[in-house]
Amino acid sequence: MNMWISQHLLRALVASGAVGLMLFSPCRLSHAEPPAAGIPARPEQIVFAPLAFEPPDAAGFRRVLPDGTVVYLAPSHEFPLVNLVVTFKGGVSLDPTDMPGLAAMTARMVREGGTTTMGPTELDESLDFLATDIGVAATDTFTAATMNCLASNFDESLKLFVAMLRTPAFDEKRLETSRARILESLKQRNDDASSILGREWKRLVYGTDHFEATEPTDRTVAAVSRARLAEMHRRIFHPGNMIVSVSGDFDEKEMLADLQKAFSGWERGKAVADPVAPTAVLQPGLYHVPKDIPQGKVVMGSRAITRDDPDTIPFLLLNEILGAGGFTSRLMRQVRSNEGLAYSVRSTLTPRVAYPGDFRAGFESKNATVALAAKIVMEQIARMREELVTDDELETAKASLIETFPRQFESRPQMLRVFVNDEWTKRPKDYWKTFRDKVRAVTREDLKRVAVKHLDPEKMAILVVGDWENIAPGDLEKRASMKDFFGGTVKHLPLRDPLTLEPLPEKAGK
Amino acid sequence: MSACRPVVFAIISLVLAGGFLAAPQAQAQQVAVEEFALDNGMRFLLVPRRDQPNVVSAGWVARVGSVNERPGITGISHFFEHMMFKGTDTIGTRDADRDAKYRAEQKAIRDEINRIVWTKQYDRLKRGEIADAWDPANDTQELRVLRGKLDALIRAQQGRGEGGPEAATIVKDEFDQVYTRAGGSGMNAFTSQDLTCYFITVPANKLELWAWMESDRLHNSVFREFYSERDVVHEERRLRTDSTPTGRFQEQFDAMFWESCGYSWPVIGWPSDLNSYTFEQAMDYWNVYYRPGNLFGIVVGDFDPVAAKAYITRYFSRLDPGTKPPPPVVTLEVDQIAEQRMNAEGDVPPAVEVRYHTVPAGHVDSYPLDMLSELLNERTGRLYTGLVEGRAIAGSARTASDTRKYAGLFSFEAETRGDATPEQLEQAWYEELAKLQSAEVPERELRKVKNRVAAGNYRRLENNMSLLIQLAFFETLLDWQEINNGPKKYEAVTAADIKRVANTYFSPANRSVAVYRRTVAGAEAK
Repeated sequence: MNMWISQHLLRALVASGAVGLMLFSPCRLSHAEPPAAGIPARPEQIVFAPLAFEPPDAAGFRRVLPDGTVVYLAPSHEFPLVNLVVTFKGGVSLDPTDMPGLAAMTARMVREGGTTTMGPTELDESLDFLATDIGVAATDTFTAATMNCLASNFDESLKLFVAMLRTPAFDEKRLETSRARILESLKQRNDDASSILGREWKRLVYGTDHFEATEPTDRTVAAVSRARLAEMHRRIFHPGNMIVSVSGDFDEKEMLADLQKAFSGWERGKAVADPVAPTAVLQPGLYHVPKDIPQGKVVMGSRAITRDDPDTIPFLLLNEILGAGGFTSRLMRQVRSNEGLAYSVRSTLTPRVAYPGDFRAGFESKNATVALAAKIVMEQIARMREELVTDDELETAKASLIETFPRQFESRPQMLRVFVNDEWTKRPKDYWKTFRDKVRAVTREDLKRVAVKHLDPEKMAILVVGDWENIAPGDLEKRASMKDFFGGTVKHLPLRDPLTLEPLPEKAGK
Repeated sequence: MSACRPVVFAIISLVLAGGFLAAPQAQAQQVAVEEFALDNGMRFLLVPRRDQPNVVSAGWVARVGSVNERPGITGISHFFEHMMFKGTDTIGTRDADRDAKYRAEQKAIRDEINRIVWTKQYDRLKRGEIADAWDPANDTQELRVLRGKLDALIRAQQGRGEGGPEAATIVKDEFDQVYTRAGGSGMNAFTSQDLTCYFITVPANKLELWAWMESDRLHNSVFREFYSERDVVHEERRLRTDSTPTGRFQEQFDAMFWESCGYSWPVIGWPSDLNSYTFEQAMDYWNVYYRPGNLFGIVVGDFDPVAAKAYITRYFSRLDPGTKPPPPVVTLEVDQIAEQRMNAEGDVPPAVEVRYHTVPAGHVDSYPLDMLSELLNERTGRLYTGLVEGRAIAGSARTASDTRKYAGLFSFEAETRGDATPEQLEQAWYEELAKLQSAEVPERELRKVKNRVAAGNYRRLENNMSLLIQLAFFETLLDWQEINNGPKKYEAVTAADIKRVANTYFSPANRSVAVYRRTVAGAEAK
């Protein structure tokens, strides 16, 4: 008998005395206690009040300054803080071929290098004394500058912030410090197997010449000059290439006037071009990079679809069911919950706007069970193509997307991020209004069709980082080995020198 | 508790939003918390906020963590966290009686396996016949048979073995499915040295579902998959500790640093203990630490407090108060009387960490220690200006004051830049420290740090879940009121206080030093 049930029962008996005794039937111990008053037997029996939610309309928050700059405003007075974000189009996507990392370095130096009227140390001291946080960073296709300050310090903070964006000085000493710090981080590129996995996967999927996969080396970091930074700064940082959003404690009219004044005289160039699509085509197969760790780290997948593809919503649902839906997903159930082969296992769909992004599944498992876990993941992917999902699975996935939909807009900064991103990427205007209806309309057949079209195990790559000698043979019970994939043909990729990214001699990773 | 980095292990990867930054300023925002208690002793903190409409973040805390463990059951608090997602007699099974039978049979076999491993396999290990007593590859014939039987039972219970799907009694991960269908998101939990916290965000109309689900698992958990889930936790340990560049080194450093108190073992537990927990030990733990008097709930977001109290009363009142109060944690950390040093070599950047024993959360000196740390950190802090930019010997440098429920530590960590050595960083730290010990911090510098900390006080309140996690820590370590009282205490810290604590806690005999060096490629023997 279950120990806990018996002890629990004992306690309940002691607590409730003789009357309680009669309530319990000894032969059905596990159902011993009746539901307490007013508690439904199952959660499905609870009746919920309806929750009406309509997505906010971007137009209601959108303003245009006289110079044409678009500003989204969402005031709220709960906290005495103002959160200002300037989103510039273009980021890593603008890196020149001879200097990967330049856009990120430019963003970093705009923040760190002082302005033409104030040295970097003085500027940082002023901002810190005001308790104003400023960050400037480049992502793949955007560069974002954020300022968060106490409402009482807004005027002074805005002055310093805009000076940074308009007239950065790229102080030589700060540049030297940044170069040195980046070099130290490059040296650590092979320390953690996950970073090797991410780097090599992008190289496989997007090709070594595309900005998604290129990375700085010691040589390109050393070559970054103030002239190159200034040139990149001119391309990115101007009103013709930016959208502003402000949330927090402010008056709308005053804010518009403040921004107009702060931006006046800032030369307005043209917005940068859309990012270019990669030309490389993923070569299906089994790949391995050496790293001496007690766990193999694995990712498998292929290029998939663009964000505005009509198949994206069914694909999102498919992905929920397959591996994105946490414990409710098939991969988590089979690989973690049933077999205990991994702590984390999931699939990810990353649609890009300008070209198809990738679909990938990933996990980590002890060496002996890497092959078994990989086999189960592949089987689950194949099943999506061969069988219809169950009604229950599809309904759960739909309910999850529909019920969590309001979270897309849950805070004002989050809502404004959506508006700005939609405007830059020209998302169809009715996207959010019709999102839930489109989710509701998806059928099981749609999912199968999408799987057949976009998820072909034969066209996928499998990348393993780890100790191949111990991974390849598979598990003790011989349920799987790495020979089960692509006929056992494996392409051993070299570990790369962390500074130069040139291949290292073969045994370096052992 | 400034800048503490709680060592947490979660059921899914978890990032503690917003960190845990101290935040002073007398006029700072007051968080309006309504306290509410049930007859069975369970308390609730309610924070209705309408600024983020449509959602409620809700959670509860068990005042138990690895500090409450002992050798033999290290990691059991974290293992419990995993067990709590495995269902009850209602959730997670389609036949509670048959499922209980499966569990009883599994228990009998696993007890036998453990008995054999603890005796025969441990003996073989001691004699040098095998290298790992728990590795199935080293199983004796007897063990192989038992392990096969256990595996067959687990598979049958899941509907993947003998009897096929018909034999299944488990409804896999139903707990998650129910929440997923209802629009729950971010369902997770974490275990630290001092507490275990379970939380989720639900649509505003689903608070009753939360009360149903959480009170059901607190009332009615059956520790389904008690044996198979260990494989998952082993993978978690491999992922977080064994396969990371510094995971094992940090574990060793912790074990060296803490001499007598319960912070010396890892939250995730030692591997042998993880294999050894028995059902009886788990039951004892449950009956002591998962009783309503040792629990509290937190609800933050868009809800009506009157309705919330009605749900909470209806559902959580069914929890049995139990008879055994948690035993006090009695073992105090002894004074360190000699410097300790660890030299580590691996795929790691050259670096140094210097640690000192300090004080627990709420101690009068914890506030100046936090401010001292703030003075050193950030872009205009003394470490950046002195070590990173000034002397140009550090790629990065930071300090942290980590004050826990029963003891605290202060740490300095830095990575080298260029040709600099960890020894240079260590020396530079002692010099920075000497400045703080010999002269009071200038007024403007202290004001600057206080301003920054005050603004941080607002920022960390903006997000519902971040507020929930902070209340969880404050209420466990001290009292939730600290979220409103703490700021005044930080604002009151003087330059003299900082100088005083700099001279109290940072003696050579009270420090432990870890020096990290990168393994030179090709220099390894093998």
